[in-house]
Amino acid sequence: MRTALRAPGFPEREVRERARHGAARAFPPRQEYGHSVYGAGVAPGGDAIDGLRLVPPVFMPGRLEKLIDLGREPQPGDVRLACGIGGFSSPLPLYVSALGSTQVSAGGLAEALSRQAGRLGLPMVIGENVVPSHGYGHLDTNVERSLRARIGAYSADLPDGSGGVVVQQSTEDADAEVWNAVYSDPAARPLLDSGRLAFELKVGQGAKPGLGGMALTARDGVDRRSFAVVPLFGDTDEQVLRCASAGTFTEEILRQQIRLMRNNYPRARVWVKLHPGRDVGLAAATAWAAGADAVTVDGAEGGSGWAPTSFLDHVGLPLAECLRRVAPGASCLLASGRMWEGSRVVKALALGARAAGLGRAAFLAADEDPEHGLERLVDCLALEISLLTSALGKYRTTELGPEDLWPLPEPYPPEPLPALSATPAARPDTTA
Amino acid sequence: MTLLTEPVVAAPSGLPPADPREHLTSPRTRAVLRIQNGMLTAARAHLAGRGFTELLPPVIGPVTDPGARGSKQVDVDFYGHRYKLMSSAILYKQASLLAFDRFFYVAPNVRLEPPATSSTSRHLVEFHQIDVEVAGADRQEILRIIEDLVKHVTRHVLDAFPAELALLGRDTAALAAALRGAFGHTTHRQAGERLRALGHDQSPDAEIDWEAEARLSRDHEQPFFVTGYPKGSRGFYDKEDPQQPGALRSFDLLAPEGYGELCSGSERENDYATVVSRMRETGENPAKYAWYLALMRQGLPTSAGFGLGLERFTRYLAGLDEVWQASAFPKLPGVVSP
Repeated sequence: MRTALRAPGFPEREVRERARHGAARAFPPRQEYGHSVYGAGVAPGGDAIDGLRLVPPVFMPGRLEKLIDLGREPQPGDVRLACGIGGFSSPLPLYVSALGSTQVSAGGLAEALSRQAGRLGLPMVIGENVVPSHGYGHLDTNVERSLRARIGAYSADLPDGSGGVVVQQSTEDADAEVWNAVYSDPAARPLLDSGRLAFELKVGQGAKPGLGGMALTARDGVDRRSFAVVPLFGDTDEQVLRCASAGTFTEEILRQQIRLMRNNYPRARVWVKLHPGRDVGLAAATAWAAGADAVTVDGAEGGSGWAPTSFLDHVGLPLAECLRRVAPGASCLLASGRMWEGSRVVKALALGARAAGLGRAAFLAADEDPEHGLERLVDCLALEISLLTSALGKYRTTELGPEDLWPLPEPYPPEPLPALSATPAARPDTTA
Repeated sequence: MTLLTEPVVAAPSGLPPADPREHLTSPRTRAVLRIQNGMLTAARAHLAGRGFTELLPPVIGPVTDPGARGSKQVDVDFYGHRYKLMSSAILYKQASLLAFDRFFYVAPNVRLEPPATSSTSRHLVEFHQIDVEVAGADRQEILRIIEDLVKHVTRHVLDAFPAELALLGRDTAALAAALRGAFGHTTHRQAGERLRALGHDQSPDAEIDWEAEARLSRDHEQPFFVTGYPKGSRGFYDKEDPQQPGALRSFDLLAPEGYGELCSGSERENDYATVVSRMRETGENPAKYAWYLALMRQGLPTSAGFGLGLERFTRYLAGLDEVWQASAFPKLPGVVSP
């Protein structure tokens, strides 16, 4: 029933939509599922990182050092972009963020992206729930959508000594033994033998911190033993919301899971992905102390997955605040969240990250041109990062720091950090 | 056939013969399998004489031991449910304490080990364990049981199979030396310190790797125990040491002469809440273990137990270069075989 009642200044349309459609309206419009990637919109005026400016100094001792080294005035092209990322070598301070199990990352797009990332030699993360959703590809006819196919596409033109594949595992993936399957697969051996396989422990979701992965899926096809199922569109609709568990973590659980990964997969690198939680600094320090090779912080701006609108706009720390709360020291911190152009990447590096993850931007670029879209996007980023870094009088991206930003970020009160174990836990990053 | 008069037969090296006929008809294989048969007979008699009941082990189940380093479990389609071939029957051992206080299995285990382990000389995808569990036992008691069992079987092999040992070229003096005096004990921490002193990068938080185990093993004349493995290196069912948080009441038995690990075991955790937390620490989803957790919630006895790898034990007693030589149909990691 609809009366003449009006509520000026109040989101009346949204309330009426919810009154008509119920729980389905807690999410973006259903017809966008599988065709859109999500994450927070841009606040008017941008987020805190957008609000920062990169501020070149007048006097540049670093440039003088480079001048002496080269015997000529340095150019932006002299910036060394190659760096070590979580135990891998990368030609740029960039990696491709997780490709999840939602339809948008399935099939041809995921493989087109994998192929281009491999050709570029950029490290690439393969997302959680790919195996429970699409199978591993051993005895599975749906091979194209499987994790194995993505690894194969990535490895096809991978240059020697560069890049690496990072395979995530969530709680439900643990039931499917994703890491064990990859680690014991002869097809993954070339990556393992060349030190280019990592496993990423997924502690949380960028787009929906505190929750597990979500996907819309056919009512009949869902594995109800592994996932919770919500009949979002009514009891007879053929589509349901599939919810993975978030997974329970404490300091001790995180520490021991990382130790177990290092124990069980001694030839693989260990990455840890954190959601933008308020204790992200303590969690990152715990992960490094336990031996993680890289910690990824996904700002609340990140994520390609399906998420409730209330989470997209209101839950989780912004990336800038996450980076402020994490003190990486010599450890490898990676940042993702709305990365698509050079200034945002350079600001993230100045805030302490070693490299930035391309998520939605990589998807869109590969969607635009499955053959070369990502390569062109990365070309453009490489130029921007070189220009910006050299403008700051620096010639390695690892030299960027908070002094390159205005306003100068305020330090975060230190949290109690876990004691480092007797021997250095993390394998030193020798690729930088 | 007069095996016993044949001279020492040269040991094959590397991979098993592609033709199972060649392996099965080899005098060496036959000698090894005869020794193995004698070992099983002796072990069964020894344990039965000490009040143990032999139970038949489960082969499949909704869950199996997740604590097998990096190896993949084998899935079985059980009427539409994902079941597993046993990688070890540890969870069923704890449950079986409801029926018997002291029992053992001779249990087949299957683990799809990483292909890289095919060159360790000590990994098989399909192998057997003499699996023992004792209600109410602590680590000290279970270590005594293992030592008695290993010594009894070793003595039996020395007494009953001199011709086979001669054919295989086994140094029986080295085996006899293993029987003199009590087995040594060291802690994981001490073993790590020793290895680091030798220049080996042993993590204090991880298992001792194959190479390091062989190194420690070469320094010994007798089997020896390593106790107190760190929490991140073992399954959720091994009890944490209340006196030494982070260390488990666990142990391995390592054979001397470079043969390395024969046996793993521990006091078991039987507190429901602790097991659930430990499952998370080992990355496991407690929902998967519903039947086991339901039993534990209602109460399972305290216990300690071990699994003694039969093929590894055979390799040691028979003095074999490779563990596959102790199997009639060996399956090496990553090698497609009958």
